[in-house]
Amino acid sequence: MPFLNVKLGPLELNTPLLTASGTFGFGEEYASLMQLEGLGGLVTKTLTLLPRAGNPPPRLVETPAGLLNAIGLQNPGLEHFLAAELPRLRQWNLPLIVSIAGDTPEEYVQMAEALCREKGIAALELNLSCPNVKKGGVLFSADAALLETLVSRVRLAWEGPLIAKLSPNVTSIVEAARAAAAGGAEIISAINTLRGMVIDVAARRPLLGNLSGGLSGPAIRPVAIKMVYDIYAATGLPVIGMGGIMHTADALQFILAGAAAVAVGTANFVEPHTIPQIAAGLHQYLEEAGLDNLQELVGAAHL
Amino acid sequence: MKQCQARVLDLVEVKGGFFSLTLYEPYLAATARPGQFIHLRVGSGVAPLLRRPFSVAGADPAKGTLHLLFRCVGEGTKLLSRSREGELLDCLGPLGNCFISSGAEPAVLLAGGGGIAPLIFLAESLRAAGRELYLFYGAAKSADLLPLEQFLSPGPVVKYATEDGSAGEAGLLTAVFQRALAAGLFPGELFACGPRPFLAALAQQNQRRGYPLQVSLEERMACAVGACQGCAVLIRRNGREDYLRVCREGPVFQSTEVVW
Ligand SMILES: Cc1cc2nc3c(=O)[nH]c(=O)nc-3n(C[C@H](O)[C@H](O)[C@H](O)COP(=O)(O)OP(=O)(O)OC[C@H]3O[C@@H](n4cnc5c(N)ncnc54)[C@H](O)[C@@H]3O)c2cc1C
Ligand SMILES: Cc1cc2nc3c(=O)[nH]c(=O)nc-3n(C[C@H](O)[C@H](O)[C@H](O)COP(=O)(O)O)c2cc1C
Ligand code: FES
Repeated sequence: MPFLNVKLGPLELNTPLLTASGTFGFGEEYASLMQLEGLGGLVTKTLTLLPRAGNPPPRLVETPAGLLNAIGLQNPGLEHFLAAELPRLRQWNLPLIVSIAGDTPEEYVQMAEALCREKGIAALELNLSCPNVKKGGVLFSADAALLETLVSRVRLAWEGPLIAKLSPNVTSIVEAARAAAAGGAEIISAINTLRGMVIDVAARRPLLGNLSGGLSGPAIRPVAIKMVYDIYAATGLPVIGMGGIMHTADALQFILAGAAAVAVGTANFVEPHTIPQIAAGLHQYLEEAGLDNLQELVGAAHL
Repeated sequence: MKQCQARVLDLVEVKGGFFSLTLYEPYLAATARPGQFIHLRVGSGVAPLLRRPFSVAGADPAKGTLHLLFRCVGEGTKLLSRSREGELLDCLGPLGNCFISSGAEPAVLLAGGGGIAPLIFLAESLRAAGRELYLFYGAAKSADLLPLEQFLSPGPVVKYATEDGSAGEAGLLTAVFQRALAAGLFPGELFACGPRPFLAALAQQNQRRGYPLQVSLEERMACAVGACQGCAVLIRRNGREDYLRVCREGPVFQSTEVVW
């Protein structure tokens, strides 16, 4: 039986398949539908320091091979997470990756400090697709200098593996990846959703309550693969690739492009067993290709 | 809640664009309650990408069958309307909460357009419990109304309404219901499902009289199990307003707690 285990810098996973943040809640909802032990790890919904109410409805609309969402980071806040969700998540024998976001660098740091005191967290993922409220709403991913400072401050507060999740809505995601690495992130997650809009023709208004949203699903897959390919080529950092993965072949595209692990988001809504199905598919692929270990394939598409 | 493969037993076009679908799935048939829904995968590719939610319109635990009623409105429902007998449909369910009856007589059910499906299930289960029932069913025009006698056992008093007067009483369902109240109908409890503007108008009208009113809401859904927060509606509970999930805390809410 070939091995699927991977090492992403300091983070070791038995299976290179994670849930994408915001698509699996805190795991509880899917626990009755499937064996969570089959996941390589669970990435939580992004947490903020204080609870967030989220955006007005409608929050979702299907687009060709895609999903446009504007949830608005609705979450119960850090305190509730620590008291109510974390103890339950710890009981599952599963690497837990906590995703956090803030309006200001200070909020990220404060959350990292609080989480650093907790046991049972395998890694911290910084959702860097949020606007920096202090800097006129520029995305944290869009300003390399700011991004590096933010990551380096979190680095001082958090001792475990640190993942920087980048937004594709920037001029150069490679520059953002370099800045995150310079700040001390060991792993890059890419990509978050692409900004988009749907107009309700009958109403002559944007359909979403928030007007615009983030696009996910198979529609964004080629964009995501190119970004992962570029980040890998430019930085050599371990990358968690995501964007429209539905099947084994999609995951393999990301791995060949340079992703050491992948995450599944929108596909969970379509088929809750996507991750275990892809895990089985990867085993089969390795066996048929006569390979012992998936790591041999990471980045193999590069000349 | 489970992921199941339901077998298509029967699919008929009841009326232009309205389909009645009978599925064989003993677990769903045994566990589904009026107000709950299932999340169906239509097709196996990326168009349509997401599953589609449908209310349970009836269940027969003895036969292991589940009944859906749907209207063809887009790609997903068009594909579903082409399902073949014997085909397996992948579904998640039963999902959401359900209508809860207090037992106050009589129970009055109000269905606007497509909102009829869960109320047929509710009517059947209340009737089986020997309850006195009124069902008000309205749509824009006669072509949009389903012949209920095909799905309901005899018993409930059924009143039809159309906005253009092409069937039943003329006027909005809310107005027809008002007239019935003025003529001496004293509901013990109300259950409603339909387009949001209809439910909002009904809730507003009912404020003064204050009959207990449960409404079933619809929102666009992705996961339908509570994980994505996509189906949020604003609900006032314990003095504070929060976005709750139609798929988890709903689809049935007290009309007084919905922030219309
Ligand atoms: C809890 C619940 C119960 C429902 N029960 C029934 C039922 O019993 N019978 C019935 O005919 N219809 C029902 N609907 C509506 C039904 O889900 C939509 O008509 C269907 O999803 C349309 O899919 P489509 O691909 O044909 O249309 P499209 O318009 O192409 O769908 C595009 C997207 O919008 C979503 N969407 C479109 N209309 C609605 C709607 N009214 N509510 C929620 N999402 C929508 C679809 O799910 C899809 O993601 C219910 C909806 C909900 C939320
Ligand atoms: C409904 C929804 C909610 C999401 N919420 C978050 C979130 O809270 N934090 C985050 O970093 N990414 C969030 N994402 C982005 C996903 O984690 C992922 O990066 C993106 O959807 C691309 O992967 P996919 O195509 O497999 O869904 C969300 C995506 C969706 C569809
Ligand atoms: S549809 Fe995902 S939470 Fe309701």
